[in-house]
Amino acid sequence: MERTSPTARGFRGFNTLTWVMIPVAIAINIAIGQLVYALKIPLYLDSVGTVLVGALAGPWAGALTGLLANLVWGLSGLNVSYAPFAAVAAVIGLLAGLFSESGWFRKIWKVLVAGLITGLVAAAISAPISAYVFGGVTGGGQDALVGIYRGIGLGILPAAFAQGVSSDPLDKMVTYLLVWLIIRALPLRFLMRFANGELVRGDEANEGTSAGSTVTPGS
Amino acid sequence: MIDVQNLSFSYAGFPGMALRGITLAMPKGQLCSIVGPNGAGKSTLCYALSGFIPHFYRGVLKGTVRVSGLDVAESSLGELAGAVGIVVQNPFNQITGARFTVFEEVAFGLENLGVPRDEIISRVAESLALTGLDSMHDQSPFALSGGQQQRLAIAAMIAMRPAVLILDEPTSQLDPIGTREVFGVLRRLAADQHTTIVLVEHKLEWVAAYSDRVIAIVRGQIVADGTARDVLTSDLIEEIGVGSTRLTRAARLARAQKLVDSQAALPVTLVQTIDFFEQKDR
Amino acid sequence: MTIPFSLYAPRESGLHKLHPLTKLALAGFVALCALVLPRAASYLLFLLLIVPLALWGRVFGRLMSAALRVALPFAISLLIIQGLFWQTGPILARVGPISIKLDGILFAVSTIGRILAILSSFVLLSLTTRPDALMLALSQRGLPDVIAYIILTTLQIIPRFQSKAQTIIDAQRSRGLETEGGLLHRIRALLPLVVPLVLSSIVDIEERAIALEARAFSHPGTKTSLFDLSDSLPERIFRWSLLAIALIIVVVRILTLRSA
Repeated sequence: MERTSPTARGFRGFNTLTWVMIPVAIAINIAIGQLVYALKIPLYLDSVGTVLVGALAGPWAGALTGLLANLVWGLSGLNVSYAPFAAVAAVIGLLAGLFSESGWFRKIWKVLVAGLITGLVAAAISAPISAYVFGGVTGGGQDALVGIYRGIGLGILPAAFAQGVSSDPLDKMVTYLLVWLIIRALPLRFLMRFANGELVRGDEANEGTSAGSTVTPGS
Repeated sequence: MIDVQNLSFSYAGFPGMALRGITLAMPKGQLCSIVGPNGAGKSTLCYALSGFIPHFYRGVLKGTVRVSGLDVAESSLGELAGAVGIVVQNPFNQITGARFTVFEEVAFGLENLGVPRDEIISRVAESLALTGLDSMHDQSPFALSGGQQQRLAIAAMIAMRPAVLILDEPTSQLDPIGTREVFGVLRRLAADQHTTIVLVEHKLEWVAAYSDRVIAIVRGQIVADGTARDVLTSDLIEEIGVGSTRLTRAARLARAQKLVDSQAALPVTLVQTIDFFEQKDR
Repeated sequence: MTIPFSLYAPRESGLHKLHPLTKLALAGFVALCALVLPRAASYLLFLLLIVPLALWGRVFGRLMSAALRVALPFAISLLIIQGLFWQTGPILARVGPISIKLDGILFAVSTIGRILAILSSFVLLSLTTRPDALMLALSQRGLPDVIAYIILTTLQIIPRFQSKAQTIIDAQRSRGLETEGGLLHRIRALLPLVVPLVLSSIVDIEERAIALEARAFSHPGTKTSLFDLSDSLPERIFRWSLLAIALIIVVVRILTLRSA
């Protein structure tokens, strides 16, 4: 009996390859986040790895990646303020897995809609955390928006939510787009090792290869 | 220790057989080298002996592989890990990253096996000494050079004391001194701990000097199986693209030039070569 | 030996010698109280708990610089945004057309206290606790080994990824990417950089998984550990007491909020 069936869903999507993938995904989150910040792009793009794991290995793996990523941001001292948002990151990974299992990563327009929805949900969950812990501000340039929303009469929580809605959907749409590009660039045999490998690559996944396929290593 | 019966394997999604009808048996304490041209299936055989075929690389597997009493296809990778060790080609990828120092990295496998703490410490110290890494025990594994990382991979495996140890080009990053040390360690493991060692190597002089047995593989089949001298001096070995040691080539040339008795068996080691040339004087 | 990529600052201190779970309990306690108690009380938490602990652990300087560094952007935003745009209450001062609201400033100041208390508790934990010791302590209490593996491995590989990112940043800076071009242009320039970065990181994953299996990562049965963490009965009692006090505080707070 196979211990790690590539067509397993959900919890059986966990295998050693997934465990090895998660640290790499978290490091990708950090690297891309750093890149984007240094190049003064007004996005976060700090969940690319989380969404990638969710897409390939399923919702629980994605959730775990998001959760641990934010704890690592906090524990390493890189950006301690990420730690309280661990639940948001977990939900992002969870959603990526759910969208992947529903086949949404096959078409680009669905990918963008998935990103949009994820961004809205992320904004909804972040807002209470931001309002309660951080008084509704992010510490960044987006706070100008918070000021505007407050100025027109919104309370702290609604203003935080409005700020989130102004930035998260776009951020997550670009994130999902990046993950879609990455998946398309990955070799098929690699994708097939993951629980959702067949689901993320449209029609080519159904041609030729049997379930559980891979190709030769070295000689 | 190793018992392979009629093993055939083809990778899923790939036409052609990577291994065909391999049958071989290796006793305890044998140091067996595998030679063959690129793409012959040497790495595939390594994975089949350690369980990564079929548990990690899937495809169509026929025949049986029994290692240290375990049926490889029926046992999980976790169960096999205690009995079979494998050192693959790229040393950098064999650093788990889970531990911060060389000492702890080598101890990691022993922790997973549930070895008691005192024994972990003594085994790790011993492995590091054997592979010349004891002065580096406190360093980060990522601060090591390629050659040192390769030794680290070997040290981590031998500390686990597997009954069978498989190594795929474990000296590629090492200079001659390092290579000699590794071969020496393997020789000692086979002799003292009766470890069965399967070694894929291109450095034929070393293979000839240290192996009890040499198996040549071409296109997934065994084409030669015998002592180092028999296999590495045969005409076949040149035909399949493996080449021969310089000693053999020199001797072959001498024999062709009628400088020595044309019936004398070709040598592969230095001692044999000396005897070979001295026969001329008898 | 250096601990890769973490805030850990080795010191000869009583705090460092405590069991990792004790320090985790302390940090968790402060964070929980800061969340549950009124905002203004956070300053008391900071002064009465965090600061003495930091002094005991000889990491006061590091704590202050790390905590202030991360709290500062929030502080500035809070004072400006909530100070200027607070809707209700008396006006503290007028500067031309801009009016600064008293309640906004009060809110900002008390929220800064909460942020400071929560974030500095995390920082204190990181400064005084080796990540591998913490992971070991949690694993001994039932945390799955894979979680510990993930966290420790991530800490070790981050520097490599950061330098890869830095290489890309430097190359793009030399092309003037960060200064010219609109948002869309910059995003489009980013995409062909990110994909190779990710692909090159993923290429080795299969071999690394093989190596992990070869080290008996999924071996059945109990695992042992090289290190021994010293725990003591007083510490255990202390941790349980903290938990009890925390529960009492939470319950009292809920009750007082209900009746308010």
